[in-house]
Amino acid sequence: MPNPILEVRDIHTFIGQFHILEGVNVSIPEGSITVLLGRNGAGKTTTLRSIMGITPPRSGTIVFQGDTLAGKRPYTVAKLGIGYVPEHRAIFKELSVRENLKIAERNRGDYERHTDLIFDLFPDLKRLIDLPGGKLSGGQQQMLAIARALVPDNRLLLIDEPSEGLAPVIIEQLMAAIRRLSSQCTILLVEQNFRMASRLADHFAIIDDGRSPVSGSMADLVNDSALIQRYLGVA
Amino acid sequence: MKQLRSNWLYSLILVFLIAFPFIVGALTESSPTGVPRGDRMIMRGESVRWQAVLIEVFILSILAMSYNLMFGFTGVISFGHALFFGSAGYIIGLALEYTALDTGAALILGSLAAFVICGGVGLMIGFVSLRLRGVYFTIFTLAVAEMFYIFFSRFALTKAEDGFAVTELPVWLDPSQSRLTFYYIVLALFVLTFLFIRRLVNSPTGAVFKAIRENEDRALAIGYNTLRFKLMAIVIAGMLAALAGILQVLLNKKIGPEMLSVGYTIDPLLNTIIGGIGTFAGPVIGTAGLHLLDTFFRDATLVIGGSTIQVANVWGLVLGLIFILVVIVFPQGVVGTWQSWRLKRQIRHLESRMAVEPSPAPESG
Repeated sequence: MPNPILEVRDIHTFIGQFHILEGVNVSIPEGSITVLLGRNGAGKTTTLRSIMGITPPRSGTIVFQGDTLAGKRPYTVAKLGIGYVPEHRAIFKELSVRENLKIAERNRGDYERHTDLIFDLFPDLKRLIDLPGGKLSGGQQQMLAIARALVPDNRLLLIDEPSEGLAPVIIEQLMAAIRRLSSQCTILLVEQNFRMASRLADHFAIIDDGRSPVSGSMADLVNDSALIQRYLGVA
Repeated sequence: MKQLRSNWLYSLILVFLIAFPFIVGALTESSPTGVPRGDRMIMRGESVRWQAVLIEVFILSILAMSYNLMFGFTGVISFGHALFFGSAGYIIGLALEYTALDTGAALILGSLAAFVICGGVGLMIGFVSLRLRGVYFTIFTLAVAEMFYIFFSRFALTKAEDGFAVTELPVWLDPSQSRLTFYYIVLALFVLTFLFIRRLVNSPTGAVFKAIRENEDRALAIGYNTLRFKLMAIVIAGMLAALAGILQVLLNKKIGPEMLSVGYTIDPLLNTIIGGIGTFAGPVIGTAGLHLLDTFFRDATLVIGGSTIQVANVWGLVLGLIFILVVIVFPQGVVGTWQSWRLKRQIRHLESRMAVEPSPAPESG
């Protein structure tokens, strides 16, 4: 197993008084796709938000390429090279597609350097470039949200439920794009759709009730129907 | 092309505004420079009267545009905007009347001080309170502004609630002697403010402002220290409001605590909503519309049946009705509704030209 690019050790995160994460451990191997699996409300999204510092963990450590993330503000975490694609197609609806992309520039010229890749992955965005993000279809918005994370040189992408509410053809297109992206940067995915997750990811970690009981290689998980049944409740 | 057309309209309006004193002068056979009496000019006649009306429109438009920069473009809702407007007024007034400086120096130093202090106050208020979100920030700004209002209403040095007059201005600037010059100065500053805000909002910084307005967490997560950008917006807005305050004092040659009152926060707020929140022309159109209505109808009397009604007495009611009507008919303000109508047309046009269905075929590979 290659060196982990991100190491989450025993984080405890509270939202208000609620103890959401009760000791999550996740290790993300560099250059692969890892998926967080688990039931609704298990704490998958909170794990991503804890990594970004949006809901900072109260204890535990998060190490990204040698930098400790716990205690850092979200914009600092982002600048270290982590791109976050939140759930519900989190684009800026009132900004144009171009503005949505350009706003993610960390260094001048990031956008120009990456347009070839972005339009190659998501050709739709090119012809919609001057429309406000809010006028795009759901799938196009999701593509824009991922494209935005590609503008700066990110080493790790956190993508939360990209397939949520999308038509199967669009999901296929997104999967193809994410697979191609994994050759350039490491990806940590949250995904409810087990079929999609199993075809896409190399590694998995199960989040269950605020803990991370099992993790390993995806190839092992797909053959272990008892484990799938126990934590995911799908056949 | 779209850019060209809208700028063409703006240019036409600008030419009209430049020619305005002479147009009114020609129509009413009055001199745009007033009537000479002895060695000075007396500001009498329709042309100079209407210059004063427009000067006030420009000043209040600068105030509304500055408010819109925070409220409309950055999503920071402050109820303390009058603080900047009134403080700048007091600072320039104090510099002119309470210091030993000669008038020219007092004017320059007073204006500089007003900008620096208002910017600094904005920075301080922002730093203390911008960590508060939404309504808490709004209440805090209201409290600070009211504090200053009450203080200056009772401060003996500045003649408490009467305020004090500015007795001397350089002749070339004095609106009661050279109103035409003052008209062009204020017009120029108004145009510059408009262009500056448009430039700023269309810049990458402006995109961050708009992103914060829409979703601050998202802007944070893509790597922006949003507090810094909100501080920038409040400081710039504060300094532009200071400009409006300085000009208001020069126009009226008087400063009183009413300049700090909540009215100078509410008016730009209403004017911005009526004209269109987060649009460039909206605050100007809202301000001009309401101010001109006010000017035209304030002195009118209505005769209904046997009773006559002084419009001035019911002006607040009329304004309220206009406000309700506009909010119902133009939910995004006059300019905002117009723009979204145009955008819809543009999208329809784009879709019919491209003739593509919303869900494209999956990519192969």
